[in-house]
Amino acid sequence: MEKVLEVKNLEVALNGKEILKDINLDIFEREIVAIVGPNGGGKTTLLKTCLGFIKPKKGYVRLLGKNPKEAVRIGKVGYLPQKPVLPTKTYLSALDVVLFGFIHSKLSKKEKIKKALDILKIVGMEKHAYRHYSDLSGGQQQRVSIGRVIAQEPKIIFLDEPSTGIDVVAQESFYDFLKKIRDEKGISIVMVTHDVGTVAEFVDKVIGLNKYMHYLGDIKGFFQKDILEKLYGTEVKLLVHSPECVSCEHFHMDFKR
Amino acid sequence: MIDLLEISFIKNAIVGGLLLAVLLSVLSLFIVVKNWSFINVGISHAAFGGLAIGFYLGLNPTITGLIFSIVVGFLIGYISKHGKLHEDVSIGILFSFSMAFGVLIISLVPNYSSDLFTFLFGNILTITNTDVYMLTAFTFFTLLFLYLFFQKIMFCCFDEDVAYSAGVNTSFYYYTLITLIAIATVLSVKLVGVILASAMMILPAAFASQFFWHYKKIILFSVVFSCIIVLTGIYISYIYDLPAGAFIVFLYSFVFGGVLLFKSLIKRH
Repeated sequence: MEKVLEVKNLEVALNGKEILKDINLDIFEREIVAIVGPNGGGKTTLLKTCLGFIKPKKGYVRLLGKNPKEAVRIGKVGYLPQKPVLPTKTYLSALDVVLFGFIHSKLSKKEKIKKALDILKIVGMEKHAYRHYSDLSGGQQQRVSIGRVIAQEPKIIFLDEPSTGIDVVAQESFYDFLKKIRDEKGISIVMVTHDVGTVAEFVDKVIGLNKYMHYLGDIKGFFQKDILEKLYGTEVKLLVHSPECVSCEHFHMDFKR
Repeated sequence: MIDLLEISFIKNAIVGGLLLAVLLSVLSLFIVVKNWSFINVGISHAAFGGLAIGFYLGLNPTITGLIFSIVVGFLIGYISKHGKLHEDVSIGILFSFSMAFGVLIISLVPNYSSDLFTFLFGNILTITNTDVYMLTAFTFFTLLFLYLFFQKIMFCCFDEDVAYSAGVNTSFYYYTLITLIAIATVLSVKLVGVILASAMMILPAAFASQFFWHYKKIILFSVVFSCIIVLTGIYISYIYDLPAGAFIVFLYSFVFGGVLLFKSLIKRH
């Protein structure tokens, strides 16, 4: 499998403060990778360094075999920020936002619109194509933004807390959808998330990050008491949600009362 | 009105005014989307320092005004993007400095008061054939540039980080837009002056957005509305011997205020 992201001996400092140290990782095509860790652990910084927003102090990042700044120029890197700093009013329709994804495409205007409408259908937003983007709910905006990313036909997508603004039910279908586009289009997905429980069944690899990379491997190996304690720097109590789980039973009984 | 067109300076004022109405209305969309009102005020006030240098050194004030505004525009743009000071603070300091600098330079020139007033509030009678040619060329260039790169510029205005990650050269479009705004500001000085130039670049899209939300309709409505306001302003100010620039901005604000009031009254009922 082709390597889409390579990080070697990465060190990043912001305003003189060391944020990331000794980061080494490889991500291959078709992989879905979750970056988890406590707040301030450097998850978003790692994502932004991979995209070329932040210059490393030491080490390097190779994105699609290139320097990140060169790699993004080709337009095959998708990015969904955590809290986009958008204008109060964008004066754009949902369709306009998806059309941004075709910015490098050589298709005719008519073909781009047709494709963008098809994408809006895929993300379940076809009824809202001609609505003001700023009037959509957080979850709807997120779906449209995913549509924009798909329109780019990227090789790798970076998602920063993608479930922000999406309710619990919608979250599962969102991750199902990500898995579907990975399977169909062979895209690699790297996402920063707090909620490792929800993404557990969708990811191939987990990166446990808190300044250092405390874990890199599959999801099963991640749920070890010592790894989690090292990552979060505090004592951790593991709750396994299974029929035999005593804590869960108590929880359910309390909840019913 | 047809009689007015036979007078050369009025003809220049009308043609120049209409060109500015189109130019500033189109640019106003980006200023409103990017929430650049204060950046725009900063650039327009900075133009005064540049105009004063030209006047003092006996050079063409428009040229020195252009250079000074572009430099200050870049500086404001850079500070807004990378600065550690809050952008409002840095813009406030920069434009106060430029105004103070301009006043000091102008005060060194004998008989400066009338020219100072012209720079600050504009004088439609001073629009020459050369100004009209420059405005025509610049308006044509700006509209062509925006037509060719509109989607990329809107993408940058929508979300600069996301546009960058999608392969758009955001710094190029950011600084080009600031340069276009700086040049448009200096070229509009003769019509409305540095103090009122920013109003002409904010009001059209702000007004249009009261009726429409989509950028295409906003641009179209802004242009039509601005042309009507500019023509009405020039005509009435000529008949009643009023300063045209000030009257045009007054008309813009009056209609805008009236619409806001009307809308809030409708909402209450």
